[in-house]
Amino acid sequence: MTFEELQERAREKWKDTEESSTPIVRVGAATCGLAAAAGEVIEAIEDEVKQLNLEVKLVSVGCIGCCYAEPLIDIKKPGKPRIVYSFITPDKAREIIKDYIVDDNPRPDLAMGTIGEGEVEDIPRFFELAYYKPQVRLITENCGTIDPRDIHQYIANGGFGGLKRALSMSPDDVVEEVKKSGLRGRGGAGFPTGLKWSLCREAKGSPKYLICNADEGDPGAFMDRSVLEGDPYRVLEGMLIGAYAIDASEGYIYCRAEYPLAVELISNAINQMERDGLVGDDIMGSGFSFRFHLFLGAGAFVCGEETSLMASIMGRPGRPRPRPPFPAQSGLFGKPTNINNVETWGNIPWILRHGADAFASYGTERSKGTKTLSLTGKVQRTGLIEVPMGITIDEIVYEIGGGMKDNATFKAVQTGGPSGGSIPHYLGDTPVDYETLTALGTIMGSGGLVTMDDRTCMVDVARYFLGFTRCESCGQCTPCREGTKQMYRILDSINKGEGKPEDIPLLKEISEIVIDSSLCGLGQTLGKTVLTTLTYFPEEYEEHINRKYCRSRVCKRLSPAPCQAACPVGIDVPTYNALIAWGRFDDALEVIREDNPFPAVSGWMCPHPCEKDCTRLETDKAISIRALKRFVAEHEIKAGRRKKVVHPSPITREEKTAIIGAGLTGLSAAHDLRREGYPVTVFESKPFAGGMLRIAVPDYRIPPHIVDYEVEIIEKNVGVEIKTNVAIGKDLTVEDLKKQDYKAVLIAIGAHKPVDLRLSGSEGEDYIHAIEFLKRVKAGNREKPGDVVAVIGCDHAAIDAARTAARLGSRVTIIYPRSRDQLPVGEDILKEVEDEHIKFQHLAVPTEIVRRRDGSIKAVKCMQTELHEPCLDDAGRHRALPIEGSELFVPATTVMVSIGMESDLSSLSYKLATNELGSIIIDPETLETSEKGVFAAGDAVTGPATIIEAIAAGQKAAASIKCYLNGVEFKEPYKLVRPRMRIEPVEVEEELETFRRPDELVRPSEERLFDFEEVRLGLTEKLAVYEAKRCLRCDYEEEEELK
Amino acid sequence: MVTLEIDGQEIEVEEGTTVLKGAQKLGIYIPTLCYEETIKPYGACRLCVVETIVNDRSMFQSSCSLSVAEGMIVKTNSKPVVKGRKILLELYLSRCPEVKRVRELCDQYGVTETRFTTFDKSEDCVLCGLCVRVCEELVGARAIDFVGRGTERKVDVPFERVWDECVACGACTYVCPTGHIQNEAHRVAQLKRQLGIQRKCRYMLMGAVSNKLCPNNYECWRCEYEQRTEYRLGEHAVLALKPAQRQGG
Repeated sequence: MTFEELQERAREKWKDTEESSTPIVRVGAATCGLAAAAGEVIEAIEDEVKQLNLEVKLVSVGCIGCCYAEPLIDIKKPGKPRIVYSFITPDKAREIIKDYIVDDNPRPDLAMGTIGEGEVEDIPRFFELAYYKPQVRLITENCGTIDPRDIHQYIANGGFGGLKRALSMSPDDVVEEVKKSGLRGRGGAGFPTGLKWSLCREAKGSPKYLICNADEGDPGAFMDRSVLEGDPYRVLEGMLIGAYAIDASEGYIYCRAEYPLAVELISNAINQMERDGLVGDDIMGSGFSFRFHLFLGAGAFVCGEETSLMASIMGRPGRPRPRPPFPAQSGLFGKPTNINNVETWGNIPWILRHGADAFASYGTERSKGTKTLSLTGKVQRTGLIEVPMGITIDEIVYEIGGGMKDNATFKAVQTGGPSGGSIPHYLGDTPVDYETLTALGTIMGSGGLVTMDDRTCMVDVARYFLGFTRCESCGQCTPCREGTKQMYRILDSINKGEGKPEDIPLLKEISEIVIDSSLCGLGQTLGKTVLTTLTYFPEEYEEHINRKYCRSRVCKRLSPAPCQAACPVGIDVPTYNALIAWGRFDDALEVIREDNPFPAVSGWMCPHPCEKDCTRLETDKAISIRALKRFVAEHEIKAGRRKKVVHPSPITREEKTAIIGAGLTGLSAAHDLRREGYPVTVFESKPFAGGMLRIAVPDYRIPPHIVDYEVEIIEKNVGVEIKTNVAIGKDLTVEDLKKQDYKAVLIAIGAHKPVDLRLSGSEGEDYIHAIEFLKRVKAGNREKPGDVVAVIGCDHAAIDAARTAARLGSRVTIIYPRSRDQLPVGEDILKEVEDEHIKFQHLAVPTEIVRRRDGSIKAVKCMQTELHEPCLDDAGRHRALPIEGSELFVPATTVMVSIGMESDLSSLSYKLATNELGSIIIDPETLETSEKGVFAAGDAVTGPATIIEAIAAGQKAAASIKCYLNGVEFKEPYKLVRPRMRIEPVEVEEELETFRRPDELVRPSEERLFDFEEVRLGLTEKLAVYEAKRCLRCDYEEEEELK
Repeated sequence: MVTLEIDGQEIEVEEGTTVLKGAQKLGIYIPTLCYEETIKPYGACRLCVVETIVNDRSMFQSSCSLSVAEGMIVKTNSKPVVKGRKILLELYLSRCPEVKRVRELCDQYGVTETRFTTFDKSEDCVLCGLCVRVCEELVGARAIDFVGRGTERKVDVPFERVWDECVACGACTYVCPTGHIQNEAHRVAQLKRQLGIQRKCRYMLMGAVSNKLCPNNYECWRCEYEQRTEYRLGEHAVLALKPAQRQGG
């Protein structure tokens, strides 16, 4: 049978099936489809067709490109366009078969698009979709359409037309045509294909060989596989044309054994071609003969390098050799050999069929045609794409890929797999062509395009690819073998937080050397990942090395569990949780004490920023970290164990430090200094140490004995000297302290002076500051403040004042300018407040205190507000702007105000440089004031902060003072945060799987409103252990990770 | 004949000559570790990498395997070449800190310490492949080869046991620049056990000496014949054999 007859027959057959009354169901059953369970879909369709007794032609086709939407089926009914359905499950497949084939309902809700002539209502054109619009499908034109097991379908769609034309030309003309097309090697290096062919054609020696490199090994690359699985004949036709042009008589297809489907399809294709006389002797009567051999590579990455590949075919170990001689001179079995990769061969038939000019009309000046790319990584739409050369990275990522998943930010794209480099997001307008990519330090490569978002760490990316090339280097030449080993070690140490600043220039040097002096393409390109990440993301390397910080939270050693990272003092939350889960409560408490001298105070009062970042939030609710801390602290207090042990740490240093103010900041600083052996004296003007907690925060929130308990530990067990009732500025001056040989002084006097609102009508005893009221009550004066109390402001002092007033019998309203969801207090506290019958007047800003003629307060006059978008200086909250002319009255007999507090420096009688607002000017790094050796920290500097921030400030002050006393420069200690101890995860019982975050026991409001006893009662032991077991253990590392 | 320029000096050499040989002709020193004149170039040590300029395109290529080309400009000691060599030597030093040959080369280039990590201080194989290649190309025995890939690569006998392929010629130990290859003694002892005192010596097996009793009691590492041939031929007999006399080559 001549080719013309064959063509005729194939076309008729194709026409018959396409136009027959039998519907055709195509299922994308390439590897990508099968991985998405296309096999089950096929079974379901077969079954459904049988059950409904339908006549349907079911065809397994290759990948049409949009792998993200697999499994795909497409149904062609006579007179209708093909309709593609995506994300198919067996059930959906049954539904579609029934609805569309039987009931003629095209199900637009499940359809993705239509292909071919005609339109279907509510279904877009498939190739007009955003994913396909920028694409140009030349090499993949048949993928997903023809049956890759049927040569006639390929022939009917123009197959072997290129070979036919080539055979009618002289071999030289064929080479010329390819040269004219501007086609360049698609394997990565981009060597002009026509030139390569002519070199091999001119080389002396016989026989000549052709090789198709189908050893696609880059992580994240599957272009060649998709082409081989979707349209294997195309590649073989390309090789036949090449063989004719070069005068080769044998060709090898070197396909990796990991592509079983591709291997099956290629050998099937070769058999069919032999059957139809398209391969063998005297092809198409031209006298030209050619034979194919299929060779399976056993999986060495380096065998993708041409000299290794040839060694492998020759039965030798796959190791490269120096070039020259080039394969064109001495290749396979010492004969002239031409190697091209799958995509290059696949382009040849199109060029011969449509002409070089048509091909060259796509692409850029020096990079012609299209390029298949495997778009993978963090974009929304992944898959095989074919785009004209010169398309920009942004177009690929945003238009085809649809941007990043989960609204993440695009960060970089790795081209060329492990041999390539990363292009940063800010170079997104880079056109994809050989020259531009090379200029940016990466390569086109075979077409792997791994997109990365801001949750990808670039150091980790470099380490990952280096880990790959280190294992895949053949080990022959020293730079590649030793270089990858050392580069990997350096990157691994940076990744583990052991990097040194000199590692960066060293990495750069060695990468350059490995690129310059390696023997083969593997070594000559593997340094690009390191170099590009170093060039485009130097800040990430610096952060890893200098600040032990991984911004993407990928490098595990640099990324403590999110709770620990969120904690201002860095308490090792996962470890103490795990210890609680094991029932080791005392050990858990000791773990907390390592970082925080106030476990009980924190357990009662901490605003727990840790819980906001808890990983468990992704599934249900955060671990109740604070309540667990309170539980272990309470457990110890009840047992009274700690008090028995009294052995303060020894004083090993002479330099004395004086700390003014025994609040949490002062005591934390004292604790840290004393634990290191420095003698410390804390001076407190009040009769008790403990600051605001002890003199203002109401008993029902934290009983005084809890604070006293921890102060006592610091005094007795740690050995800090606390002098109460000594007011610096009155009883002693700072100068006196210096005279008494205190080398350093820390001012931690807190912020006790309330800020006034200065409203008209604010004179009189019935207008009081909330903090004064709280102090009065705490001191024992439990007099009712008035029948109707209006509280202006909504900080913790205001809330506490409101609750206290409610307990003393007042009716209370809180006036707050924003809405409920903007309140600066936690939801748990808010709920308690509302239970205590305290009203809120949201969205109101007071303008005047209205008084009766007798001088008593009548109401608070307010203006209504409306919320506006946040501006930058407003802590991200909405701005509340008053509405002009609006008016609102909140009745009251007493008004309490709490809109902030500031530090009262005047009492110190000590001259320090202050800013225009009256706060102490300090060096933000060292906390040192304008006076040498005098430091200031805590609320005194920052204004009122949370208790955990106060403790953190004290710790920082202690670290700085320590450096000052030793005469060294203070630097923020960036250290690796590692779990304090390795705790194995506990067995989680079945009943726990449905266990949800327990609420702390809270006394009912009708009971608690009449006393000052604690509102919250904490967790029971059983609940605490259960709760601790819910922890997902973000800190946990497997044994091998620890190495 | 091809004319090229090496380090500013013009030279005319035969076509197909390697750049390394051309440089040697001019008396220019290029360091090598894996190069041996009688064995095919391997290009593994990369110490002989030089900068070549052809058609204004600068490249770094190993001079042992690179053939000369008309109008080629070669720089054997340019700044980037020396810089690369120094880092390579640092890599060698980190791999084999105790090896004399490596230390000598480091001294030549003023490399005194390495910034890289040494994983095994006792490592003394630089993986130059001379032993493997001499065994395959000149002896034709293929008794040893590389085992493993990448960083795992090492020279070993098949399946880690001495096979009969080894004729105990000792060429591998002779070419080894670091003294790593010492399997010969084991193999000799094994041959002695197998064959008794009557066996032929390795030079008899190779056909280099006639069938006589060994004057050295088959303690081959003391072989007088070897000493004598080496003295006479200037190198190990295997390497000195003319190509036609080689097996398998």
